[in-house]
Amino acid sequence: MNNLSDLLISKPIPEALLRGLLFTSFTLHLLFVLLTLGTAILALAYFIDSWYGGRAKEPRFGKRMLKTFMAHKSLAVVLGVAPLLLIQVGSTIPFFTAVNLFAPYWLLLVVFLIIAFLSFDAFGHKIYAHRHIHLALGVIALAFLLAVPGIFAAILTAFENPDKWQAIMSGGHRLTGALAVLWLLRYLHVLGAAVVFGAGFHYFFTAEDDTERKSLQKWFVAGILLQLILGILLYGTLPARPGYVIITSLFAGIAAASISLWFVFSAARKGLPLNSKMVLPVLMLVLVSMLLARQFLQDRTLLPLQKRLEANATAYENELKPFERQTLDAYGASLKVVYDSGEIIYAKSCAFCHGAKGDGKGVEAKGLSIPPEDIAAIRTTRGQLYDILKYGVHGSAMPYFIFFDKDKLDSLMDYMDRTYHVLSPPEAVLVSVSKPAMEQANSTYGQACAGCHGMDGKGSKLSQGFKPRPPDFTVYSLSPKRAFEVISNSYPGTMMPAFESLPEEVRWGLVKIVNEKRRQSRALASPGSRLGVESASSRP
Amino acid sequence: MQFPIFQVPYLGNGMIIALDAVLHVIISHGLAIGAITLIVISEYLGFKKSSQDWENFAKEFLKFTIIITTSVGAVTGAGIWLITSALAPLGIGSMLRVFFWPWFLEWIVFTGELIIILLYYFTWDKWTAERKRRHIYLGASYVVFALASAFLITGILGFMLTPDGWPWNKSFWSAFFNPSFLPQLLLRIGLAFSLGALFSAAFLLFTRREKDFRKEALRFFGKAALVSFSATVLFTWWYFSVVPSTFKTYAVFSVLTSRFSQQPELFWYANGAGAVLLLLFSLVSMKGPAVLTKLLIIPALLVSMGLVSEFERVREFIRGPYLMPGYMYANQVLLNETPFFSKEGTLKNDFWFNHGPDNQEAMVQGAYLFARNCSACHTIGGINDIVKKVDGRTEDGIFVIIGYTHEMVPFMPPFSGTEAERRTLAGYLYGIAQGTIKLQDPSRLVPAKGGGNHE
Repeated sequence: MNNLSDLLISKPIPEALLRGLLFTSFTLHLLFVLLTLGTAILALAYFIDSWYGGRAKEPRFGKRMLKTFMAHKSLAVVLGVAPLLLIQVGSTIPFFTAVNLFAPYWLLLVVFLIIAFLSFDAFGHKIYAHRHIHLALGVIALAFLLAVPGIFAAILTAFENPDKWQAIMSGGHRLTGALAVLWLLRYLHVLGAAVVFGAGFHYFFTAEDDTERKSLQKWFVAGILLQLILGILLYGTLPARPGYVIITSLFAGIAAASISLWFVFSAARKGLPLNSKMVLPVLMLVLVSMLLARQFLQDRTLLPLQKRLEANATAYENELKPFERQTLDAYGASLKVVYDSGEIIYAKSCAFCHGAKGDGKGVEAKGLSIPPEDIAAIRTTRGQLYDILKYGVHGSAMPYFIFFDKDKLDSLMDYMDRTYHVLSPPEAVLVSVSKPAMEQANSTYGQACAGCHGMDGKGSKLSQGFKPRPPDFTVYSLSPKRAFEVISNSYPGTMMPAFESLPEEVRWGLVKIVNEKRRQSRALASPGSRLGVESASSRP
Repeated sequence: MQFPIFQVPYLGNGMIIALDAVLHVIISHGLAIGAITLIVISEYLGFKKSSQDWENFAKEFLKFTIIITTSVGAVTGAGIWLITSALAPLGIGSMLRVFFWPWFLEWIVFTGELIIILLYYFTWDKWTAERKRRHIYLGASYVVFALASAFLITGILGFMLTPDGWPWNKSFWSAFFNPSFLPQLLLRIGLAFSLGALFSAAFLLFTRREKDFRKEALRFFGKAALVSFSATVLFTWWYFSVVPSTFKTYAVFSVLTSRFSQQPELFWYANGAGAVLLLLFSLVSMKGPAVLTKLLIIPALLVSMGLVSEFERVREFIRGPYLMPGYMYANQVLLNETPFFSKEGTLKNDFWFNHGPDNQEAMVQGAYLFARNCSACHTIGGINDIVKKVDGRTEDGIFVIIGYTHEMVPFMPPFSGTEAERRTLAGYLYGIAQGTIKLQDPSRLVPAKGGGNHE
């Protein structure tokens, strides 16, 4: 694995500061994530309990809880920005790779969050009316919301296990086996924490009487017990000999969790509800120590990997260095080129095949089975030229050029006409052909040419399926010299054969016939003065 | 490259980012900046004139605005980042390095912005009477934060089109305060107030209001709209005057695309008609009957959203081949890498290709070369379909064209790879166009094996 670009190894922020900020901002983010999830779970549970548990007049507690949802969820979102930034700078490759392995789900996060948030907004609004609609809204909201930590848990699981990337990739972008179990436990652990934190928060800040407090206390205790079970299972997934730092943080967390339980039970023994706000800092201590353990565990794998990546990247950067000068020079030069005139467009977009002099001898011409046309030999109409530029020539290398707007193509056609006279009338054939040769040419056209080109020169029915199709002689012709060359030597790569066995005079006769098709159609098409000018100028 | 490649099938990567980003821009500019500023002004007017109507309007409109901004605006904003993380990891990863501190500051500003707006919302009924003034100041301080956020993001956006001396000197300051920074910032603020005035007018027209108040408020929002539209037009002109001609020359095409590129007059007719409609709306709302205003507001909102999308489209499109000008192409190949790959090869320098299955097969190599070089913009069978682009070309023609993409089509990046790789890609594209190669997994651009291929 190499190819880290030079920017990716630059460090915009000192390592220790980055790690400190990452940990702090992630802890804050997770706190509000837990409050968001916890509020959502509890509010829906109380809503269902009050509507369907026979206390239909008291859905107020759930509604009061939901009032805090907007603040929790908004803070969860904005506080998530900093850890996202810092983790992408600190562990660029593992993080982006993990995201990419689950890219479709990651993209869906945006949709899921919007659906969940808007549904919760609607759910909390007018909660007393239409209970089935509200139940549906609440269930939809919660389902989409709960998917979000599931996706994050999957990505973090992949993130921390670089040795499993290949397996995830080839296994259809799914977590399987031990990783799947790890993912499930983590996910449930997050949900359990959400219940504990949600219950803890609303116990002190939302509940108004002892009934409400008592019921939240049950959620709180159940949540902590669930966390202990999940914690024990998760402990089984730890690597052998995790090291004393990780063990210490874990046990500090377990101790703090036990203390919070002790608060509840000692109050209950006296028949009182919990009223010491000391539980809240203790809960924060649980969160911090557990996240510290997670961080150290992650560092064990990722820090050495990061070192290796950086060493490879430096080597790769050195390989690229020699190209920097030429690249920047070329970039600077390209900024000065503006594709706004026919001349530039021809030079950049046409010349590599048709040649800088329009002679069809561009640098790439020799590699093409159908040679690019000698532009200077073309005599066509503006409409026909525009069609070629718009559609290309099917069955050849000639592409279409509608990625230039009409103004640019007009400018290109003007340039081609100015420089190569492609829109001028066809030149007269100056070679004289005897009457018998002309007669032979006429009969040859009928027998050998018309099959494809049609008696009228527009192309026969048969030829419509050819790729490329023969040109329409009534709108497209070549200079006599070039036409003679094609008739004599064929048009390589197309159906057009060589007629070198015909006497030269007859071939010139054919050139005249073909040329005449264009002139006839021009005579028909152009009335009045233009006709006069053209016939005068084309008289030998 | 060191990252695997993913493409959103059919829609393509660009479209996904665009859909999310345009929605975000409309909300962040129109509501989070424009509408909330006008809400604070409305609250102030209510306070100054002792008008319960202004006060109620401001409060009710804030509730709507805060729901949309926190539920959709914030998520789509972070969404732009989430999406690019999956679709252009090297690009966003590199941008983060150049703009780490603005990004970090943006987080602080964003968090501050949110806390203030939540406070502003939740203290509305508590800070009354003599504390009302303090509440209005709180609203004003939100506006300052919202504008600071626009300031920070505009520096980064401007860089992507006009990086100034950055490719040569790698100076942060010339990257951030690049030539298009100031005009773009002003243009965005103009947009924000234009959209904000329209959203305010719409909320006013579609909620129950007292007749005289509605008239007064409409006149106010109509004036605000007129001033903002004019300012936006002016700043747009300034913005495009600093964009280098080499990019600006594709502006019309970027809007019309190949489908309409041969009717460039459409561009001018559509924009002219849009401008006339907006002008008409602001005049009618100042002077005309309320019914007519109600009739025009929805079209006016749609037109203004269309114009915002158009601006973002032009800005994103005309930077053409570059993701970071002078450093990285749109397909995440570094400018330095192109000459390197043409000597050493793209495939053997790719981590995921080298660890992928069947990588000795030409078809698989072609698919990978397509993914690496083309898939940032082209899909197979969807938007900007490569099949339609190469259809009708001979294989040797495709080979030649691939070698000249950046010259022939100036907004395309060059092909990166050896001549043999270029031949492989040409064969693959020819096969795709002929239908002899089919895809098994379009999101990973994996070709199907066996029966379907090489028929």
